[in-house]
Amino acid sequence: MIPFHTLSQRHLVFAYCVVWLLQFGYAAWLVAAWRRTRG
Amino acid sequence: MQAEAKVAGISKAPWGVAWAALTFVALAVGFDKAMTAPTEATMGNLQRVFYYHFPHAIWSYLFPYLNCAASLLYLLWRQRSPERAARADAFAVASAELTVLYVSVGLATGMLWGRAAWGIWWTWDARLTTYLLLWLLYVSYVLLRRFAAPGQTAVVSAVLAIFAAIDIPICYMSIRWWRTQHPAPVFGGGEGSGIDPTMYAAVWWNLAAWGMWGALLLGARYALERRRQRQAEAETRMLLDEVSAPMLEVTR
Repeated sequence: MIPFHTLSQRHLVFAYCVVWLLQFGYAAWLVAAWRRTRG
Repeated sequence: MQAEAKVAGISKAPWGVAWAALTFVALAVGFDKAMTAPTEATMGNLQRVFYYHFPHAIWSYLFPYLNCAASLLYLLWRQRSPERAARADAFAVASAELTVLYVSVGLATGMLWGRAAWGIWWTWDARLTTYLLLWLLYVSYVLLRRFAAPGQTAVVSAVLAIFAAIDIPICYMSIRWWRTQHPAPVFGGGEGSGIDPTMYAAVWWNLAAWGMWGALLLGARYALERRRQRQAEAETRMLLDEVSAPMLEVTR
């Protein structure tokens, strides 16, 4: 069970969101670019 | 044809899928460890940003070196072995983009931490300034690749990559050479540095997980660049065939 009370600091929540957004955003772009490119 | 199948096969390789699965497990464990690690006495829960900030900062120093090495190999091979040079160039592109990604995360998490801990988003501190410079250098590399006229792009960007790598040791050593706003090194910073051993699991799991994730993205981006190179090659060959066909007709 994830102890969500540790997320009481909003800057920590923002930091986690930024990390996941940037990393998975880039991964999603990679997948989209792969599909657009003919092998 | 064989090489084409080999490149396309990278995305379907079983080891690639296994690596991705392992990476997601490591990321999940890392997240859990970051959330459940003991709360730091001075900063409280805000200190948990460190578990994501530190691994990204560490890996963001590795990717530029890979980019520099690949660029050197490209310059070395471009005359003698074009196929190997193309591979080195694809690897250079992939590692440069990963540098931008990891430095962006390092900057963003650092700024959020700074806002909460120091009350400011930014200061022209030695570490922050040299790190921003690192980001700007690799953003300019990526923009150069994207917008420069074809022909000499790979050569010019390889030269830029070699010079850009000079900033890495300066940035890494900045908190040792100049004591300003950024905290002193947590690991290897001499007496009084380090963290409580109960926090080690959160640090090492996240360091490993984000390293594995970086390797996964690097492999995928490299495969994409090779795919693009082959597509460009095929298009050039087709154009040449179209141009040379009428000429052959005339000579007959």
